[in-house]
Amino acid sequence: MFPWVDGFHWTMGHIVFLSLFFAAVLVIGSTLVSALLWTASDFRSRRAAELCWRINFRELPEAERHCRHEFAGRAPSRVCDNAFDCRSCQNYAKYAALPGKDFSRNRGVHYSVNLLYHRGHTWVRPRGDGTCTIGLDEFASRLIGKPDTVDLPAKNTELVSDGVAWRMTKNGREIRVRAPLDGTVLSTGGPEHEWFLKIRPHEPLNLRHLLSGAEVSGWLAAELDRLQLQLSAPNSAPCLADGGTLMPDLMDAVPQADWDAVLAATFLES
Amino acid sequence: MSDLLLIDRRWIARGAARSSTLRFALWLAPWIFLLLLGIYAAGLCLYYGLNQTNMDNRFAFGMWIFLDLAIIAMGAGAFFTGFLVYILKQKDLKPVLNSAVVVGLTCYSGAVAVLMVDVGQPLRAWFTFWYPNTHSMLTEVTFCISCYLLVLILEYIPVVLRNRQLRKVPSFLVFEHQFHKLVPVLAGVGTFLSFFHQGSLGGLYGVLRGRPFAYRAGFAIWPSTFFLFLLSAIAVGPSFLMLVTATAEKVTGRQLVQPGVYRKLGFISGVLLAVYVAAKAVDTLVWLNITSPSVGFGPRDFYSYWPLSSTFLFAAIVPLGLLPAILLIAPVTARKRGWLLCGATLACCGVLLNRFVFTIQTLALPTLAFDEFLSYIPSWQEVATFGAVIAYGVIVYSLSYRYLPLFEEGKGAGQHVSLG
Repeated sequence: MFPWVDGFHWTMGHIVFLSLFFAAVLVIGSTLVSALLWTASDFRSRRAAELCWRINFRELPEAERHCRHEFAGRAPSRVCDNAFDCRSCQNYAKYAALPGKDFSRNRGVHYSVNLLYHRGHTWVRPRGDGTCTIGLDEFASRLIGKPDTVDLPAKNTELVSDGVAWRMTKNGREIRVRAPLDGTVLSTGGPEHEWFLKIRPHEPLNLRHLLSGAEVSGWLAAELDRLQLQLSAPNSAPCLADGGTLMPDLMDAVPQADWDAVLAATFLES
Repeated sequence: MSDLLLIDRRWIARGAARSSTLRFALWLAPWIFLLLLGIYAAGLCLYYGLNQTNMDNRFAFGMWIFLDLAIIAMGAGAFFTGFLVYILKQKDLKPVLNSAVVVGLTCYSGAVAVLMVDVGQPLRAWFTFWYPNTHSMLTEVTFCISCYLLVLILEYIPVVLRNRQLRKVPSFLVFEHQFHKLVPVLAGVGTFLSFFHQGSLGGLYGVLRGRPFAYRAGFAIWPSTFFLFLLSAIAVGPSFLMLVTATAEKVTGRQLVQPGVYRKLGFISGVLLAVYVAAKAVDTLVWLNITSPSVGFGPRDFYSYWPLSSTFLFAAIVPLGLLPAILLIAPVTARKRGWLLCGATLACCGVLLNRFVFTIQTLALPTLAFDEFLSYIPSWQEVATFGAVIAYGVIVYSLSYRYLPLFEEGKGAGQHVSLG
C-alpha cells in the first residue's frame, strides 16, 4: 500500500491504482471534514439557531406556513417563504398597505390589542424602560394547563429569535417554546406569574414580525380550526364544531388525542 | 407499557402514520429470530472454521459469493439513483433517494459481513489493503466496495439525523444541513467507485482462463463480463428499488411515492436492460463461436449437464431479459402497476440467475479430461447466514421506514383551514 510496505512496486499499475484509491479516500474524508468545519463555523458566528429555525420552517406543513396578511384578509391565500420573518420580507410593505377585513369574532380565546403575538404562541409586551416581557398566550395556556416542569433560561442568557426560549413538560411530553425576539434574559417568571421571561431586546428593536390587531384574531381562528380538526376522532369526516369555547387544561381533559401532533403544530416543530 | 408506547411515538416523524408499537414488534420478531439464527451459524463458521460449510477447494465460491454478487447488483440502485438525481438532475426521482440509500447500505454492509465470514480469517482481512495485488480484479473490488460502503454510511448519516428527536439537537441539525450540501460530491465518488467494482465483479470471472465457461475476450484489460455486470447492475438497481418500495407500500398499506416515479424507474431500468440483453446476446454468440472453441470447448461441453442446461441461457436472455425490458418500456404495460412490477421482478430474477450461473455453474463444470461434473448443496450454516443477511436488510429498512424520513410523507399533509 505504501512504498515502505513489503510487496510495493514502483510500477504503473501500483501507482495508478493506489493513486485513484487514495484520491477517493481523500475526497470522502475532505467532504466529511468540510461539513464539520462549516457546522463549527455556523456555531461560532451564532448563525446556528437561525439556521435550525429556517430548516425547521421549511419542513412545516404548508397549512402551518400561512402569511400574516392572509389572516388579516389582505391576501386571499399566501404561504410565507421567509420563515415568518417579516422584518426582512420584501413583500411586507406591499401587503401591509392593503385594506384588511375584520375577523374579530369572539372565539372564546382572549387576546389583547396591547400585546404583540409570535406564531409560536407567545406574546411580547414592550415596556417603557426598553425591556420586554414574554408570556405564553391564552391558546397555549389552555391547551397545556399547569405544566409538570418548566425549564427557564438562566439570567443573561442570549435568546435568538425563533430559537428555544424555554422548555416545559406535560404528561411526559416535552414542549419547546420559541423565542419571539432576540435579547438578553433579565429575569424569569413562570406559570404562576403572568409572564415567563423579561428580556432586554437587541438594538435596534424591530417587532414587525410579531402579529397584532386583526391579524391575531384571524390567526387564532385558524389555530382553533386546526386544533378541532386534530382533535376530531380518527377516520371521521372533517367537521368543525359550531359554537363552544376552548376549555382550560385540554391535555388532561382529552388525554387520548394525538398530543405529539397538536403540540408540534402549536409550537412550530416540524 | 404506556410510557414505552409514548417513547416510540415520539421518535416517529410528525404527520407520518405508523402501525402500533405492538404490531411493529410482531412484524420484527420473525426477522430477529432469523437474524439471531444466522449470527449463531456465522459464529460457528468463525469459531470452527469453514468446515462448517459445504465449500471445498473446488467449490471455493458457494452460496455466499452468489449472495454477495446478487445483493451488490441489487444495491446498485443506490449509486445509480444518486447519479441520476445529483449528477443528471433528475429531481423527480428524489422521493426514492433516501430509500435507495438504505437499500444500498443494507445490501453492501450485508455483503461485507458475509465476506468477513467467507474469507475464513477475518482478522487478516486488512492484508488485502496493506499488501494489495494490483493485478487482481478482487483487489479492486475490495478497495472499491470498502470505500463505497463508507460513502453509503456517510450518505445514511443525514437521513438518521433527520429523525424527529435527533433533529432537536442543534449541532446535528446544522451538520445535517451542511453535509447535505456536499452529498452530490459523495454521489459522484459513489458513481466512480461503483462503476469499477460492479464491473470488476464480472471481470474477475471473465479473466479465468482456466474456466472456459466464464472466460471472455474483451477490451484492453477488461473482459466483456466487466461491462455486462456493470450494465446488468445499473439495469436491475432501479427495478429492485421499485420492488422494495412497492413491497413497503403493500406492507404498510400506504402510498409512498407517486406512480410517475415507478414509471420513470421502470423506463430507465427497461432501456438499460434492453441494452444489456443485446450486449449479452452478442457476447454469448462471440463466446460460443470464437472464444470457447479456441480453447477446445464447444456449447455441448457447457450445457449437457442436468439441471444446468441451455434452458438457463435461454431463460437469462429471453423470459428474464428481453420480456421484462419490453414490459418496462412499452407504454401499454408500463402504465399498469402490475405489469411494471412483474417486469421488475423478472429483471431481478434474470440478474440473480446470471450471478448464480457465473458463481455455481462455472465451478460445477469439468474443465480437465479427468474432471467430473460436481454438485454443491450449501450447509445449513450457509443457508442460515444467507437468511440472516435478508433478515438484517428487512430489519434495517423497517426501522428506517418507521423512524426516519425515507419518503416525503406528511409534507403539506396538514389540512388547509379556510378563514372566516
